[in-house]
Amino acid sequence: MTVVLEAKGLAVSTTAGGRTVDVLRNIDLSLAPGRVLGLVGESGAGKSMIGRVIARNLPGAFSVSRGALHFDGRDLLTISDRDRLALLGRDIAFIPQEPLTALNPTLTIAQQFGEHLERLGVPRGERRARIVSALAEVRLRDPQTLLDRYPFQLSGGMCQRVLIAMAFAGRPKLIVADEPTTALDVSTQAHIVQIIRRMQRDTGTALLFITHDLRLAAHVCDEIMVLYAGDMIERGPARSIINNPRHPYTRALLAANPALSGPRLRLASLPDQMPAISAFADLPGCRFAPRCPVRDPACAAGGFEPLSLGDGHIARCAPGCLSGETQAIAPTALAPWPVARSDAPVLQVDNLSKRYGGGRTLFGAETPGVNAVLPMSLSVRPGEFVGVVGESGSGKSTLARLVMGLEPPTSGAIRIDGKDVTKDAPQARVIRLDALQMVFQDPQSALNPRRPVQSLVTQAMESPRRRADAVTRLSRAKALLTETGLAPEMLDRYPAQLSGGQKQRVNIARALCVTPRLLVADEIVSGLDVSVQAQILNLLLDLREARDIGLLFISHDLAVVRYLCARVIVMQNGAVVEEGVTEEVFAAPQHPYTRALLAAVPPDDVDQPWPVEAA
Amino acid sequence: MTRIALQLLLRRLLLAIPILLCVSALVFVILRLLPADPIAMSLPPGATPEDVERLKRDFGLDRSIPAQYFIWLGKLLTGDLGTSIFFRRGVGELVSRALPATIELVAAGLTLGVILGVAGGLAMFAKRGTAAEQAIDLSTTGLMAIPEFLWAILLILFLGVAFPLLPFIGRLDPAVTLPPTITGFLLLDSLLSGRWDALRSALAHLVLPSLALAIGLAPLVMRVLRSSLLETILEDYITQARLRGIGERRILIGHALKNAALPTISLIGVQGGFMFGGTVLVEMIFAYPGLGNLMVDAVRNHDLPVIQAVALIYCVLVLAINAIVDVIYLAANPKLRAAS
Repeated sequence: MTVVLEAKGLAVSTTAGGRTVDVLRNIDLSLAPGRVLGLVGESGAGKSMIGRVIARNLPGAFSVSRGALHFDGRDLLTISDRDRLALLGRDIAFIPQEPLTALNPTLTIAQQFGEHLERLGVPRGERRARIVSALAEVRLRDPQTLLDRYPFQLSGGMCQRVLIAMAFAGRPKLIVADEPTTALDVSTQAHIVQIIRRMQRDTGTALLFITHDLRLAAHVCDEIMVLYAGDMIERGPARSIINNPRHPYTRALLAANPALSGPRLRLASLPDQMPAISAFADLPGCRFAPRCPVRDPACAAGGFEPLSLGDGHIARCAPGCLSGETQAIAPTALAPWPVARSDAPVLQVDNLSKRYGGGRTLFGAETPGVNAVLPMSLSVRPGEFVGVVGESGSGKSTLARLVMGLEPPTSGAIRIDGKDVTKDAPQARVIRLDALQMVFQDPQSALNPRRPVQSLVTQAMESPRRRADAVTRLSRAKALLTETGLAPEMLDRYPAQLSGGQKQRVNIARALCVTPRLLVADEIVSGLDVSVQAQILNLLLDLREARDIGLLFISHDLAVVRYLCARVIVMQNGAVVEEGVTEEVFAAPQHPYTRALLAAVPPDDVDQPWPVEAA
Repeated sequence: MTRIALQLLLRRLLLAIPILLCVSALVFVILRLLPADPIAMSLPPGATPEDVERLKRDFGLDRSIPAQYFIWLGKLLTGDLGTSIFFRRGVGELVSRALPATIELVAAGLTLGVILGVAGGLAMFAKRGTAAEQAIDLSTTGLMAIPEFLWAILLILFLGVAFPLLPFIGRLDPAVTLPPTITGFLLLDSLLSGRWDALRSALAHLVLPSLALAIGLAPLVMRVLRSSLLETILEDYITQARLRGIGERRILIGHALKNAALPTISLIGVQGGFMFGGTVLVEMIFAYPGLGNLMVDAVRNHDLPVIQAVALIYCVLVLAINAIVDVIYLAANPKLRAAS
């Protein structure tokens, strides 16, 4: 059998704290023409590093220290720069993660695509026609009209199609796609995956598909390799990995992923997070050992070989880990949602709408307005979790900003505990902020980098109404950290010293400081890794138990909304297209848009074909 | 593109009107509040108080300040800049001779400064992380630390006196006759009338003063261009272009430079305005018959009409250069074009 890409014992090293550590080790892979290999792992697992070794595009301090890497019979580690440059774009092509920033904003589509075709040796006169047919191949409508447009005039999905068309233009033998759908909406993700798969199948190209989403990988790939902290920990046929995961980490990863169907199970979340590179040197054996629920002492010591489990399924684990049931990872059933309560709602929104623009310019010309939110109503009762789902541009974030008073509504009323707070008057603000608190999407930029955690979480106690002395603030900060699962030693840390998950906990702790009755959360887990996401989701559920707090949860992730929210509101282009009890809406969606959203999510069952080929 | 550029220029023009009104009123009032007597400066020592009064009436200096301002403004709108008290000639005539000289000087200074700056920025970027970069960095700090009038003197001493390679007085050799006035711009007139001797002499006379101006601009352009290049090459689209196998030189010229140029263009706009200020001293040092020299003479002689007119013209020039740079920025930045 011919092999396009082959790695044997590949290791990449760097120095951390004066010691040499392997940031990638024991990588064995082989990829045949027309096959798809998935590299799966959370951020920091080293999956993108493999792509960078192939392009020889490693960051300065990193270098390949051991092993071999061959492409199409050529040694990629010793190849000259000239020969490597000749391979790139022609025989090896890359599809990036962020389509909007991967195209030069000062060049038109035809200019950048044309430059690529020029390199591939297409004569000038034929280039425009070639671009048009290539763009048509990735199902871009009216490709002729796109040629002279700039990347920022296209959507993310359109840019990604352009980049895919460019990647396939040279009929390469290998394509490396690094998280090609992560920055895109769910339905766009399905289309992009479909296009990549179809073109890859048609051209017989081998595909290296890098993703954090195990379920997505299962539907896209023939084989999957799971990485953890630079280690290849499990590898095998995609179906076998999903249906019969053997390594405790793979099992934990699957158990941390909320499901879109079947019984609602409490997510099994692992403690802590993946170790940073600086900690690698102290983990001679299995780097997962400190978090492993099995805790076989043999693992931490290391020195074991990958175990073959038959049928090409390999796990890098001590035999003890694989045998027997690891109860800790098995998910437990979650209590069903309590019957709808009849309490008065905390938040009541009536016919709320928001329109941007639509005014007149200085010269009296009318500018076209945008209806961000069309008149809609909703209510949230104490202890109730309500989800708002929709794709980007659906108006769900604007809704959150309206509710929080960050923007004035165009029409409609907002009531909190029956009191009208529509107008952002000082009095209304007091009522609003006593009852409602917001948690933002980006945990990083929401925290002032110059303040320690204890000052951040008790920020609300700086307002004149809540002014408190240092002792009170400190004890409050301690209580909030305990409640949000943060260790007391975090009190004096600064945001830069925290991980993404810890930062989001601090954000939640800060919102809880004024003991609000309702949290407004805008995409608060979308930037987090799956295992960290599971921790935050469980924290929210625990807070509901402990505080009877309500939640308006805005998300694009249907499975997460199903896990958290009893009720769901589906928005499209600013309008509510469907709402109701989450289980009922997801089990029997009435609106075509809801059906499309659900169909765009890779199903839990690997054997269910996905994405469904559009007619 | 042209429609958007015209819209932008129109906006600038509308905005310029109140600015110019404010500046003119400010200059006018301040000049009249100063304890300076332009009449006394322009009369012979034996003049009688009657002579003074008569002359004051002739120049309208006996009216109230607002009345004087509105008379001046009214005439200005008809294109009449008034009469120089000292030279006893139309201000318009004086300005029309000095203005092209200064525009030529600034155009030469800007061109030279941008060429040196861009070349230096690219060189520094190409040598990033080496000792050569450090050396360039250090020497440009030195260049920036010395003000342009000092550069003017140093250049004269070095290239004019010690090694007499270039002329450093006036716009033209005394031996060369002036080409016929067509546009008022010496270089252009020499070119249009085929007077190569005049062209060569005028160019030679431009080198040192424009270099003195350019030395102030070049290091700034260099540094801003280098730092924006360093930022730009970290962008995704640069990585992606590399992954398509595009060579480094092509990436620098075809991809990075266009994006990195944007902050540099803004900088040139700001510095271009400052450069007019720099011409005052540089023109004096090189005895270059431009607006700067006219202004210095006018101030020395308390020649109010000339000071007013030249101050206003400086203001127009700065606004004009900013508008031009805005149009260039618009042309270089498709995102801005799409937004407006």
